[in-house]
Amino acid sequence: MIGRRHLPTLFLVLSLVGIGVLSANSGALNPYFLDVAVGAGINIILAVSLNLVNGHTGQFSLGHAGFMAVGAYAGAAVTLFAGPAVLVGTEAALPHALLFLGALTVAGLVAAFAGLAVGLPSLRLHGDYLALVTLGFGEIIRVLLQNCEPLGGALGLFGLPAYTTLGWTFGAAAITIYTVHMLVNSTRGLGFHAVRDDELAARASGLDLTRIKLSAFLVGAFFAGVAGALFAHFKLSIDPKGFDFTRSVEIVVMVILGGMGRTWGVVTAAVVLTVLPEYLREFSDYRMVSYALILVLLMLLRPHGIFGEKRPTPPPPTRP
Amino acid sequence: MSEQLLRLDRVTVRFGGLTAVNELDLAVAPGELVGIIGPNGAGKTTVFNVITGVCRPGEGSVSLDGEGISGMPVHEIAARGVARTFQNIRLFRGMTVFDNVRVACHAGLPRGLHHSLLRTRAWAAAEEQARLRADSLLEVLGLAARRAAPAASLSYGEQRRLEIARALALKPRLLLLDEPAAGMNPSEKADLIGLIRRIHAEFGLGILLVEHSMSVVMGLCTRIAVLDYGRKIAEGSPAQVRADPAVIEAYLGESAPHS
Ligand SMILES: Nc1ncnc2c1ncn2[C@@H]1O[C@H](COP(=O)(O)OP(=O)(O)OP(=O)(O)O)[C@@H](O)[C@H]1O
Ligand SMILES: [Mg+2]
Repeated sequence: MIGRRHLPTLFLVLSLVGIGVLSANSGALNPYFLDVAVGAGINIILAVSLNLVNGHTGQFSLGHAGFMAVGAYAGAAVTLFAGPAVLVGTEAALPHALLFLGALTVAGLVAAFAGLAVGLPSLRLHGDYLALVTLGFGEIIRVLLQNCEPLGGALGLFGLPAYTTLGWTFGAAAITIYTVHMLVNSTRGLGFHAVRDDELAARASGLDLTRIKLSAFLVGAFFAGVAGALFAHFKLSIDPKGFDFTRSVEIVVMVILGGMGRTWGVVTAAVVLTVLPEYLREFSDYRMVSYALILVLLMLLRPHGIFGEKRPTPPPPTRP
Repeated sequence: MSEQLLRLDRVTVRFGGLTAVNELDLAVAPGELVGIIGPNGAGKTTVFNVITGVCRPGEGSVSLDGEGISGMPVHEIAARGVARTFQNIRLFRGMTVFDNVRVACHAGLPRGLHHSLLRTRAWAAAEEQARLRADSLLEVLGLAARRAAPAASLSYGEQRRLEIARALALKPRLLLLDEPAAGMNPSEKADLIGLIRRIHAEFGLGILLVEHSMSVVMGLCTRIAVLDYGRKIAEGSPAQVRADPAVIEAYLGESAPHS
């Protein structure tokens, strides 16, 4: 007999099995569809993990592409540099799978470490200032990578093995959704929302702000790193330009569109914003303009997101 | 010397050139209900801020049950049993009434990521405990019917009570109430007096009460300290304080102590 509290875990296990079966038979699927689906899965991971930081914890981070870059390069380094030594020419599937699992894990951990470093300023900075610092972080990562010759400099890394499949991508997406859901939906998880709503009241209620903010950044960056490594072994080549500021903005738009803090809204937004540009290829020059436009319209018309419910924040009662 | 629950020893707080609290000595015995009054800007809220660690004393020290707490982070002081409400209500406005209290019921929850991620037995038991406690506090504060309402939708008086419920969720030894009666009409004030008496008795707390409403302070406190320009100018029973010439002087030109 499984307790009600284990339903999400059951759901995760079933999803992973379903994804595994689907992935094993994905050869039958149209390759173009497969490409878009993997892209959507990666965006789901990015948006849901950023949602923990920006939506649930209320820390406006504009550096998610930076963590993605860190993960992409760390993962690529594992398969490119450590791969040959580990595999010694074997064709068997299992060693390759284990190598990729290792690469994804390393990617997540290295990015999580970067997340800690970027989370630290969030202890002192708020709102716009934090957004600027995280944006700066993303740009610094990009410039560092551009000038790091062992990692390919401006040309980047190429010739990566095509490890990323539908199964890996959606397996990781399911784990991301599960982790964020489990972290947030508990008494301790309410701490994220408390920090978002009122830091001083949260501290006075005995909540450790440092711990809460850093764990949001840590977990958020971990999954961004995993997404980066998936992306790298999907595109098979990476260069610093692929992780610039506009990528961060894209992810932020998904989170805001999905309604800050609403997991399924954010998932939907990630899918829509992956699929839609496919249909609007002729207009791709206007992509950033339209994101800006979407953001402005959203702030004016539906500040709680398209898929989010209205969050109750009428003006506070005034003191008589 | 009897053991004090809270003790401020020559505490001074400065903001630039302004001395908000000036060499203040103040003590609260376990289970005692002490009032702090004084004109606007006298430094009452700053006293709360220095006790809860929101600001550090420039000089002097604060101790709780004999342990020095000045310089500790705010959440650690809270964890040691000092809870407060805010003069300008600070609720978690995006959360429900129930969650506002529940979030502060975190004392017994197991630490470690795996508990939340795997929903361990220990996690489930502690979680249930937190829910029960939050509900019982809402019951005490008369907010059970508003349990699922967003905190921001409560009336002014309800919000004040919700802040008290959230503070009590910390299982405090010392409760600091900053103008809990502000903006209340006489009948709400009478209810509040009854409520504070009840939680004072039921939870055996030391309470420090800042209040402008004389009817509330005089009705509740056994001892009152009067601040003016950060200095304690009088301390004693309500009758003593009311008759003190220095207090009358401090309130002249200000609004006289109204009832
Ligand atoms: N963080 C701060 N920075 C600078 N000055 C401050 C700060 N907090 C309080 N003050 C100043 O310290 C003095 C005491 O303020 P405090 O809020 O403690 O008064 P109060 O007695 O609570 O007044 P009221 O009855 O109006 O609430 C005031 O002059 C106030 O402007
Ligand atoms: Mg005040």
